[in-house]
Amino acid sequence: MKKAGSAVSYLIAFVIILMINFLLPRAMPGDPLMAIYGEEALIAMTPELQAELTQRFSLDKPLGAQFVSYIKALLHGDMGYSYYYNAPVFDVIAASLPWTLLLVGLAVLISNLLGIILGIESGYRRGKTTDKVLLTGLISLSGFPDFFIGILLLLFFGVALGIVPLAGALTPYAGKTGLALIIDVLHHLALPLIALVIVRVTGAYLLTRNTMVTTLGEGFILTAKAKGCREREIRYRHAGRNSLLPVVTAAGLQLASSVTGALFIEIIFSYPGVGSLLYNSLLTRDYPLMQGILLVTTVVILVANYLLDLLYTRLDPRVAYSH
Amino acid sequence: MHIDYWQEIKHDSFGRAGLVLISLIVVLAILAPLLTSYQPHEYTGSAFSPPSGQHLLGTNDVGQDIWTQLLFGARTSLIVGCGAAVLALLISVLVGCTAALFGGVYDRLIMRLVDAMIVIPPVIVVILVAAYLRPNMLLMILLLAAFLWPGGARVIRAQTLSLKERMHVSAARTFGAGWPHLLVHHIIPDLGPVLAATLIADARRAIFMEAGLSFLGISDPSVISWGKMMQHALRFSYLDVWKWWLLPPGFALSLLISTLAFLGFSLEKALNPRLRKGVGHAGH
Repeated sequence: MKKAGSAVSYLIAFVIILMINFLLPRAMPGDPLMAIYGEEALIAMTPELQAELTQRFSLDKPLGAQFVSYIKALLHGDMGYSYYYNAPVFDVIAASLPWTLLLVGLAVLISNLLGIILGIESGYRRGKTTDKVLLTGLISLSGFPDFFIGILLLLFFGVALGIVPLAGALTPYAGKTGLALIIDVLHHLALPLIALVIVRVTGAYLLTRNTMVTTLGEGFILTAKAKGCREREIRYRHAGRNSLLPVVTAAGLQLASSVTGALFIEIIFSYPGVGSLLYNSLLTRDYPLMQGILLVTTVVILVANYLLDLLYTRLDPRVAYSH
Repeated sequence: MHIDYWQEIKHDSFGRAGLVLISLIVVLAILAPLLTSYQPHEYTGSAFSPPSGQHLLGTNDVGQDIWTQLLFGARTSLIVGCGAAVLALLISVLVGCTAALFGGVYDRLIMRLVDAMIVIPPVIVVILVAAYLRPNMLLMILLLAAFLWPGGARVIRAQTLSLKERMHVSAARTFGAGWPHLLVHHIIPDLGPVLAATLIADARRAIFMEAGLSFLGISDPSVISWGKMMQHALRFSYLDVWKWWLLPPGFALSLLISTLAFLGFSLEKALNPRLRKGVGHAGH
């Protein structure tokens, strides 16, 4: 029941996204071709090309027919042509997507692990100095917008100290291979990753801490103590493990904000991922590219969320029964 | 249900800090014209002048006073944040409560829509729409509210489901009260703290999204906003000006969002008795 239900939700979400993508440029006043391709591109086009594109998008036909040809094109992986990069949108995005996935994947992993450990330790010491410092510090940090944390790190480590590169994901033309290449990638990745982790860690931390506080009041913790279990064991194996489930659920909800956070941070660090691409497309008004990026990002988030939903049902059998 | 939430928050250190800070920011924003002798768009002197008695935070590349812009930027953040949050809350209440009260097919359809809306990443869709519409402040508020309401609707529906089984609600119903009456007189008063928590969370997200959109340069260019100040200042990060141009709006924005986070955390503590009570456990 739960599985079928959530699959339908994702499907509806996907259709809503498609409709926004399809209707928005066509609902704009004026020539739809101009809204789809942007003013600059249209001026550069020959009348023949304009006619061909109108034909291709069925722009002279009713909205229903236009939608059909839009979907048909998407099914062929045709998301339009980027005038700025002079290449199909799909290829442009495919080239930068791996960098974003690397950044987001590592950030989600590290921030959740760190958040869980800090949450367990902090919840166990509730009311003590360590807990108060962590709690105040992390809640304050969570208010910092991702891009501002990125700016602060860039100014401090990049501009003032000069110990990390200011832009890019690789040293260009260095021809590094093997271990040197990996180190080079990590060197460029360090700051954007730290910025993203700093902002994301609070979510997992607060959730773990709250569950920890609740769990520690339960009977089985008292039993464990009475049995003479060691403190560390109680903390991690009894209480900690039971605090994990909500974090996994929240990881799915956090995923979207992690991806959007990464988009902003990439812009600050000129990291060659989808975020920088999006910023360029906004500056150059490269509408087909912008639409393509937003479509791909949303689909990636929806798919990842759906997979997490399935994983969650596996982790906690109660979920499958309770729906 | 009979906890004095206001007292709880006032006696919590996070709540107190949050209340003091938010009042401070609101007062600064309201008194903005009295606290500066310049207009935000006005050319006031030489460009890139460092902080001085005349210009508390110096001037930017076109000679506008940065302190003045900072004060007026607070207005934008607060208006957009409050506007979007209040509007989103109204939609949440209307949708959540009616879904819970009516039940049946209506409830299932509505919740299906909410489930779908919740998995849509709001920032990305808002970027897309804003890139086409270049929204002014009102449009920005409408746009943000359109993607903020589903989370609140779900929470409010769950609360209403439990509230509608209460005695006084059943009693009112036997006297023939219609759903608008039930909603206004019996459900909403008891939803108070949940509504406050939703409002704070929505305001936080709205302020963050507004700043993000302005930072990307896709909002009304005539509106002064902290996000836009940062985008603008970042282009000159090779000069020394970032110290008084880039950092102040960044810290102001962070302070505002942290303040809301403090309030939210404090309210959550008041709402969840198990977090509030001194639970005796290992390690104490």
